[in-house]
Amino acid sequence: MDKGVRLLKWLTGGPPFLFLLAFFVAPSLIMIVASFRFPGEYGGLAPLIADGKANLTLETYRFFFSDFIYTQVFIKSFVMALATTLICLIMAYPVALLIARSSKKFRDLMVLLVVLPFASNFLIRVYAWMIILGPQAAFSRMINGALGLFGFEPVALLFSPFAVLVGMVYVHLPFMVLPLYTNLEKHDPVLLDAAQDLGANAWQRFWRVTWPLSLPGVYSGAALVFIPVLGMFAIPDILGGTGDILIGNLIKDQLLGTRDWPFGSTLSIMLTLVVLACAGLAMWVSRRRSYA
Amino acid sequence: MNTFLTAKDTKVHKGNPGFVFFLRALCVLCGKSFLVFWFSQAALAADVLHLYNWNNYISAQTMERFEAECNCKVVQDYYSDNEEMLAKLAAGASGYDILVPTGNAVDALIRQGALRPIDKTQLPNFRNLNPAYLNTAFDPGNRYSVPYAYTLTLIGYNTEKMKALGIPADTWAAIFEPRYLVKMKGRVTVLDSQRELMAAALKYLGYSANDTDEAKWRQARDLIIRAKPYWAAFNASSYIKELTIGNIWLAHGYSSDMFQAVQDAKKAGRPFTIGYSAPKEGAVLSLDSMVLHKSGPRPDLAHRFINFMLDGKNSAELTNLIGSGNPNLDAMPFIKPEIVANTAIFPDRERLAKLEMLKDLDRNKRRVLSRMWTEIKLR
Repeated sequence: MDKGVRLLKWLTGGPPFLFLLAFFVAPSLIMIVASFRFPGEYGGLAPLIADGKANLTLETYRFFFSDFIYTQVFIKSFVMALATTLICLIMAYPVALLIARSSKKFRDLMVLLVVLPFASNFLIRVYAWMIILGPQAAFSRMINGALGLFGFEPVALLFSPFAVLVGMVYVHLPFMVLPLYTNLEKHDPVLLDAAQDLGANAWQRFWRVTWPLSLPGVYSGAALVFIPVLGMFAIPDILGGTGDILIGNLIKDQLLGTRDWPFGSTLSIMLTLVVLACAGLAMWVSRRRSYA
Repeated sequence: MNTFLTAKDTKVHKGNPGFVFFLRALCVLCGKSFLVFWFSQAALAADVLHLYNWNNYISAQTMERFEAECNCKVVQDYYSDNEEMLAKLAAGASGYDILVPTGNAVDALIRQGALRPIDKTQLPNFRNLNPAYLNTAFDPGNRYSVPYAYTLTLIGYNTEKMKALGIPADTWAAIFEPRYLVKMKGRVTVLDSQRELMAAALKYLGYSANDTDEAKWRQARDLIIRAKPYWAAFNASSYIKELTIGNIWLAHGYSSDMFQAVQDAKKAGRPFTIGYSAPKEGAVLSLDSMVLHKSGPRPDLAHRFINFMLDGKNSAELTNLIGSGNPNLDAMPFIKPEIVANTAIFPDRERLAKLEMLKDLDRNKRRVLSRMWTEIKLR
């Protein structure tokens, strides 16, 4: 390789690499060490060295695996993340397709509209859902009125798993629309014409041409939704009911209320491992696809 | 960001733009160290007291009067829970003269050796304090802490609904007994706090809020799990609003929050009123105290501030503003009579005897409790 090119590669790739090293690898290592330490009596961590010996323990891991409840919280978060991702995908795909296929003039405007919610604070938008889903709101009254017509008991929308799911989908939808749109926009319309000439109907044109080509967009959108949802704590805190605890809430509790940093670190490490495994799986699937 | 602001600001500035630009550029270059230097210069020029306090925990008039009297400035920083404050101090925040932590956090700070002893000879108003709130378990003899105000953890409710449904609101049974809860399914919230909810359950079962016997904890956990299906949520922040709107009819929460809910409902002209009362089985008392942090540069001003706040009139202003309990006997004549008469803010002798302050748990107990809490939430 040419020397100049190699230098350029280091110059462009070096800073992000160093950034990740400093702000992902190093904190992760600190956390791994913390997970083997004892909690301090008043928060924080107990001294690393006591009486000339290393003050380390496997206790937090034993505690994690000693009973099923923590794994249960993980499974619950997993199901929530999966449901959010699927709903986001189903809702975002038509939108992305619409934007990608409309004329240049409207396209930018529509992309702007998708991004617009980011202009207001995320917590304020979630609090707004408290009002929309509250029992006095028109939306709840309409739904309960309809349920009443069919003789069903009224339901509470706020403080429920449903409210958490709505909040999650609402907040993460743009993260699905944007990568899908970037992908779909690049498709050559000639391909669809060719498929039509060969006798494919609308469904076949979508399922056999557009969908397979859009898979990289689907994967990156799914990753952008799935991973943040897995660690989210604010939405279940605000919209959730008495049973809506996710890993994020559990970790937050360990660091604040319980002041048990080692166990919080252990939970974080488990979460990081799960996320890395998911990302690895997604990469493996997409690579296998592109070779096939 | 910083550079952008600098460039923009200099355009507006008319007099001597070159020099101002030079200063601003220097400011950007040296960044924080320059600002810190500048601020410390300002601090030397005028006396400044740094107060790290709860949100909305001092009346604006009181503050103005103190600033006029001491001819100094008070700079205030805020926190919304003790853990947040402890975490920030643990992370190295410094320069605070006065903190206002709750009992168990005072305990933690004393054991960390983070506090400066109080010099009571500088506090002639100390004798105004009600002895019932002195000499606490977390600071015997009040060597480090001076009581400021307190709240009770109790039950707030929609008065009309409770009357209509025939639910007694002066007992923890209202939030734990299915025979009452069944009439208000989905209309009850409890605090999202392991310690507070466990304390309520333990009190209802007839134990101490500070009992750490695991068998009793398990009993309390089972009580909570039995009641949970009827509750709407674990809620620490929005129950004030939900009560005043009428979505929630019964809430486990703090007396000062309930005080606000009563005012809000009145102001909004709701067709119902909010009431609150300390359950007869007893409740948690959170006593907030003024303490001197070791990192504070002005213990002299801090003592003047504490003595000022111990004056009955100044102390009463906070109670009139937010409905907090007042440990200051001298303040009573200045407090609105309807607040003095409220036994949920000023408990009578019998109720006072049943109140308990929470003690800090050791790390093993904290882990056991946290595991139970996760179990409660998962069920």
